[in-house]
Amino acid sequence: MNGATWLSYSLQDFVMFGPEVFLRLFARINQDLWPWLLLWPLAGLVLPWFGRQAAELPRRLAMALAGLAWIGCGYLFLVRYYGPVNWPATGFGWAFVFQGLLLLLLKGRALPGPMAWPVVVSWWLAVFLLPWLSVLEMPDLWALALFGLAPGVTVASTVLLFAGQPLPLRWLLLVLPLAWSLFSAAIYWALGTFWLLGFPVATLVLLVVALRVNPSPAQNPGSQSVHPGPGRQSP
Amino acid sequence: MLELSRRRFLIGVGLSGLVMAFPRLLAATPSSSEQDFHVRPIPSTGESVPAIGMGTWITFNVGGDQYLIDERTRVLETFLARNGTVIDCSPMYGSAADVIGAGLEKLGAHDRIFAATKIWTSDGSETREQAATSEQRWGIERFDLLQVHNLLAWQEHLATLKEMKAEGRVRYIGITTSHGRRHRELARIMETEPLDFVQLTYNVLDREAEERLLPLARERGIAVIANRPFQGGSLFRRFQSEPLPSWAREAGVGNWAEFFLKFIISHPAVTCAIPATTRVEHMQENMGAMYGQLPDTSQRRMMAEYVRQL
Repeated sequence: MNGATWLSYSLQDFVMFGPEVFLRLFARINQDLWPWLLLWPLAGLVLPWFGRQAAELPRRLAMALAGLAWIGCGYLFLVRYYGPVNWPATGFGWAFVFQGLLLLLLKGRALPGPMAWPVVVSWWLAVFLLPWLSVLEMPDLWALALFGLAPGVTVASTVLLFAGQPLPLRWLLLVLPLAWSLFSAAIYWALGTFWLLGFPVATLVLLVVALRVNPSPAQNPGSQSVHPGPGRQSP
Repeated sequence: MLELSRRRFLIGVGLSGLVMAFPRLLAATPSSSEQDFHVRPIPSTGESVPAIGMGTWITFNVGGDQYLIDERTRVLETFLARNGTVIDCSPMYGSAADVIGAGLEKLGAHDRIFAATKIWTSDGSETREQAATSEQRWGIERFDLLQVHNLLAWQEHLATLKEMKAEGRVRYIGITTSHGRRHRELARIMETEPLDFVQLTYNVLDREAEERLLPLARERGIAVIANRPFQGGSLFRRFQSEPLPSWAREAGVGNWAEFFLKFIISHPAVTCAIPATTRVEHMQENMGAMYGQLPDTSQRRMMAEYVRQL
């Protein structure tokens, strides 16, 4: 096909499913995993508490929880539930699993210092407010987009951790969240599920917040990535 | 005393059986309006197919959602109950083939359909493999119609499809396009290749096919499946709030679905239109277009003019 033919396609032409099918994914996975799904928001709740500790072990645990969240969301939501209706989601799902394993392998070394309060507050806001976006589209409590299962919430919250990593790991970890944000925004736009655009928008906003709290060591030679940056306080 | 001969006995048994079965026969007999639905011959064989089929793009791709699989099975059931047979799908449509297969299995309807799917792979050597996978997903032994999807690697696929037809692995072969794309290339293929079917976009607003492709199909004896009869639903979004024209009844049109579909199937070159829906009531409306009077040439012109001016 030539360029003109490609340009004649609209975004909607590439989306092979309807909004009802997509929104029901949230409800289906929640119902299928009940009551064990409560473990995921619980992990989202306690993760910053671990992340704020000065000791290395709890901070390793925080990164491990983030890794498990990426694996859970990648394999369960993307590969098992979303993949059958949208094949690129399967590829993203396995990439999420790979990123989760990477986070598990990096352990505490990837969380160089305790999480700053602005990051913690942003985290909790993301984990507890963003899930309601899917309920705004599908008025059913089962449709909550939970941390560790729903990619939008998982990605938006964990970019707060990735932005605090030393270079070049920071950008390596941010490639997939940014690619996912772009891909999912296109899908939500094509489906007309405009509330869900809040996920990629929140991801970008939280990334900016995190980058301001954790500026790059190259930009601030006085601060080391392994020590708290400006705005970071040890408990 | 009445002598009961063997012949009288058999006649009596036959008549009493008929009397016993009469209520059931009465119930199973379709009304005259249900009997008289529009069919079209496939030019290459003369076999007839109903003029309204069922598309599955987007609508049947519901993944493993059992609730939605059951819903789509009800849509399929309604389609079959209103004498529909032609079902069109593609490996491109995600889980749609599995959902069709589940529906056919539940309804026990594998032998009541005209099964059509497409070959959608850029690897020209995968034709047979993909057809076999689709057969497995639908739960059928062979397809009635295999089409090259959107002209993708069409030379290789069409060569294999011709072999498969010669072997009896498929009854009809064809090629598809949509959204009015690549019509010039499609016309070249129609002029030179022995196609049974061609699938293209044709509806009351997208009428480019009338210029070259539809006359060419008639000339070459190629059946035509019209996809996107509602322009992906946008015709309803644009016109549903508007009143039907005052002369709609005279053209055999009772609602907008019939308006759009009867416009298509009343074109002499069109064999079948394949609307897609997720809802039983919409399927009822769609299948309604297969019954009753069809617009004539002047009414078709009025229909096109009416939507143009809205």
